Amino acid sequence: MSVQSPPAQAQAPAPVAAPVSGPRRFDRTLASLRYTPGQLRGLLAVLAALILGAGVTGMTAILAKSAVIEETTSQSGRLSVAALQLYQALSQADATAASSYLTAGTPSDDVNLTYREALRDATVALATAAGEVKTAADTALVAELNTQLPVYTGLVETAKTFNRLGEPVGATYQEQASTLMRDEMLPRANDLQDNALGQLSESREDAEAFPWAAAVLVVLALAALVWTQMWLSRKTNRTFNLGLVGATVLLVGFAGWLATASLASANHTDRSHEDGARPLALLAQAEMTAQQARAEESLILIARAEDQQALERYDENIEELTGSGGLLEQLEDAFAGDADQTDLIHDAQDAADTWSTGHDEAVKLAREGEFQAAVTLVTGSDEQSMTASFDALNDALTAATRTSADGFVEATGDAQRSLYGAAAGLAILALAALISAAVGIQMRVAEYYA
Amino acid sequence: MNHRRNPTRTATRGLRLALVTAAAAGLLLGACSRPANMEPPHVDVPTPLPSGIDFTPEASPAAPDNSCNPLASYNPGSVTAEQARANLNDPGQISIGVSQSTNLMGYLEGDTLVGFDIDIATAMVQAVMGDATKVKWVPMTSGEREQALADGRVDMVVRTMSITCERWENVEFSTEYYRAGQRLLVTKDSGIEGLAQMTKDQSVCTGASSTSVGNIAAVNAEVQPVTVPDFNDCLVLLQQGTVDAIAIDDTILAGMAVQDPTLQIVGDTFSQESYGIAFAKGDTDLARFVNGALEGVRANGAWQTAYDKWLKGPLGTDAAPVTVDYRD
Repeated sequence: MSVQSPPAQAQAPAPVAAPVSGPRRFDRTLASLRYTPGQLRGLLAVLAALILGAGVTGMTAILAKSAVIEETTSQSGRLSVAALQLYQALSQADATAASSYLTAGTPSDDVNLTYREALRDATVALATAAGEVKTAADTALVAELNTQLPVYTGLVETAKTFNRLGEPVGATYQEQASTLMRDEMLPRANDLQDNALGQLSESREDAEAFPWAAAVLVVLALAALVWTQMWLSRKTNRTFNLGLVGATVLLVGFAGWLATASLASANHTDRSHEDGARPLALLAQAEMTAQQARAEESLILIARAEDQQALERYDENIEELTGSGGLLEQLEDAFAGDADQTDLIHDAQDAADTWSTGHDEAVKLAREGEFQAAVTLVTGSDEQSMTASFDALNDALTAATRTSADGFVEATGDAQRSLYGAAAGLAILALAALISAAVGIQMRVAEYYA
Repeated sequence: MNHRRNPTRTATRGLRLALVTAAAAGLLLGACSRPANMEPPHVDVPTPLPSGIDFTPEASPAAPDNSCNPLASYNPGSVTAEQARANLNDPGQISIGVSQSTNLMGYLEGDTLVGFDIDIATAMVQAVMGDATKVKWVPMTSGEREQALADGRVDMVVRTMSITCERWENVEFSTEYYRAGQRLLVTKDSGIEGLAQMTKDQSVCTGASSTSVGNIAAVNAEVQPVTVPDFNDCLVLLQQGTVDAIAIDDTILAGMAVQDPTLQIVGDTFSQESYGIAFAKGDTDLARFVNGALEGVRANGAWQTAYDKWLKGPLGTDAAPVTVDYRD
């Protein structure tokens, strides 16, 4: 053992005070590896590194998964939710502002209240989104929407004032407000939502990814443990080293837990996407398309049925909703096998058909000189009115949304539950395996100095 | 011996420490991956604009095609009301295409259509049917007018329709019942007194027809024309200060001027639009009879009453019916 120091001295002919200790210590460590106790300690270092590495990467992977799932489930403060709410609130504001223009001063003017509620929702969603944006592009979108919203409300209020005064220019203001909403604001809200959903689906892929790094380290650690035990039993003629056996068992448990938790959570996350997020996005799209068709319908009447483009835009929206391959059909496919949800979509389809038929009747009335009858048919509150069928359509979609949202929360809850305690449990298992291996090896080392 | 164990143990411990530190640092980095501070975005001042607005419209100052002598219609002759009614789609009711969205000309107020066109049309109903209530009003867009006549949806159209040789190909026209023309609508304090004195820094809004842009360019080549598909948008643009003036038919301008006390119509007319009543091609008996009835409203003061009621105030000028021309 006296050989330890001289080579180190030889390698450092001009000794400098501080840096020497490092290389010298390293050389001593190297030298000690020629003898069994040193080799045992070396093995312990390797085992410790592998077990710790597996433990830390496994725990980190699980924690990251939890964080991502937390991000998908938490109902507040998230960009995608805020963006969706913004889009919905803006569509609703536009639809209600337009029909409120037609019903101004009549008893059925409670749409005006809905308009103000929609504006509140839009403002709150915009403020939330402003706090959540993470890219320059999203920041610009939120800033632009923020500058446009007051312009929009200004146009709507000007329209209202001229309307009360009985001046026809009010209709033009209302149309300009809707143009701003349709051509500038809704596309931006849509972009914001797309960006947010894109970011979310990236994180979802992360959450579903298998923790390969941790898995590889666990396998290496197990291999090292098994090899150490074989080597030790050869050296010492003892079949088992209790500490190392314990470490092996603990590490196998670690590997099992890591794999089960990861796979189960990925499975639930995937389910939450397929059964939850995708139909939810479709439902939201259907709701917004219906709102826009409703806005166009009001615009047609505001323009005294003399706005050909509004007529065409209404037809496009209804086609997107009820046409073949349209949103309601896609929803029917998405809910195949779920009788309750399918019933709701059928209700929505019926309501949309009734609405569409009534709409044609209303346009016909408006174009045949029975304008007030057309307005009553579109904005009135009785059962035959378009308000009733539009509300029925909306109610069916809202009910389906509630069920889908519950399914989504449940699936993400399952995903989260499958990770419950996994991070802490994996850490404890890895630490226990480490201690167990250290104790086992240290007992052998001690024998040499006994 | 103890001192010999120390180096190895220290190395292992050091290794362990380094690993844990690295892992902790990794965790922290993951948790703190917040974006760097972003520059505030550049956002343009939001100016609401109607869809289809064109700031660089094409001008075609072509002179109107008057080769067919468009203002000359059929002489009333001795056609009776009965002959005139012979071709009605519904013998008990005459259907008339009108606008319900053109203020002062044809506009739906509550449940009643009012305006200059409506007053003229009502006088025609009285003459043809003998009863001013035997009428079905059919609101329509200007683009629908010729087709509605061809399809028999309406018996006649009284909807600010200019008599042109091109339209004579598809419909029959009455004599001219109103002579409109492009004038200028400006804010009272703008100091603008006519199109000719507007500068190259000023803009003037008009409907999206190349002739109205051409008419503007013929008077003032410097001023910037702006067109919108629906001329109603011009009023909003003027009120919002996006344009300095509106140059469209004075009948339309009158309907705008009455909605805003800060606006006024200025200058002389710089184009000519002759409004006529249109009938289905071949329905000349109705055209002749209506021409006779138009002579009646000019003679008995009904025309003057209607003009004074709807247009005199906003246009700020007196007017008398134009003299008409017959082709036979």
